Amino acid sequence: MHIFEKLPSRLEIVHQFVPAVIEKLEKSGLSKEELFDVKLCLDEALVNAIKHGNKFSQEYHVEVEVEITGDRLIIQVRDRGQGYDYSKIPNPTEKSNLEKNHGRGVFLIKTLMDKVEHSDCGRTIKMVKFIKNGGKK
Amino acid sequence: MKIREERIGGAVVCFLEGEININNSPELRKAFDGIIAKNEKKLAVNFSGVTYIDSSGLATLIEMFQRLKKIGGALRFCGMEQKIKNVFEITKLHKLFEIFDTQENALKDF
Repeated sequence: MHIFEKLPSRLEIVHQFVPAVIEKLEKSGLSKEELFDVKLCLDEALVNAIKHGNKFSQEYHVEVEVEITGDRLIIQVRDRGQGYDYSKIPNPTEKSNLEKNHGRGVFLIKTLMDKVEHSDCGRTIKMVKFIKNGGKK
Repeated sequence: MKIREERIGGAVVCFLEGEININNSPELRKAFDGIIAKNEKKLAVNFSGVTYIDSSGLATLIEMFQRLKKIGGALRFCGMEQKIKNVFEITKLHKLFEIFDTQENALKDF
């Protein structure tokens, strides 16, 4: 399975695109709980790319690539923004950050996916989920 | 997302149904605004119909928690499916919010 899309920087697109991807992943071997996690992470990555990366600019698209290779689901989301220092994102679970109403998206992605890599100065996020039954279903 | 409010005893119970995401969080915020505008201070949110929540949904709930706290009110949650509860647990927000298994327990001594 391989999906590549260039999405406009509009939030309403996220909730049309993501369910369609999840539907295609239903026979991938991922459990319902894992699909919930993947949906949440893809949502968060796309919202970050549109809102914080491209800053809703209609000149820029968000590129999304979803593929299954062997026993892993690989999702890459790229924006065209200024980039950011992903190492400086505060931990939202610390007591002093608990009541802050932002900063949980990347944390959820890092917690729920098996492997997360940032590149291109933070403009690209690569998320990997291992398919435990080898993708057979 | 569907939102329904009902007064039960001394509290308002807000029943949510469907997904809570960045596109419909403003709708939820508007419903909470309406409850606060009516000078209600005790709000229980019943999540039994909620199938999904993202970080913007969590942020909306944090805002409501802070607003109620400021006016001496309180916010309680109940009826969460495990996958929804997991999102609160991962983000440690189960330490901030009062989360009950059932609506009956959430309304007890409220």
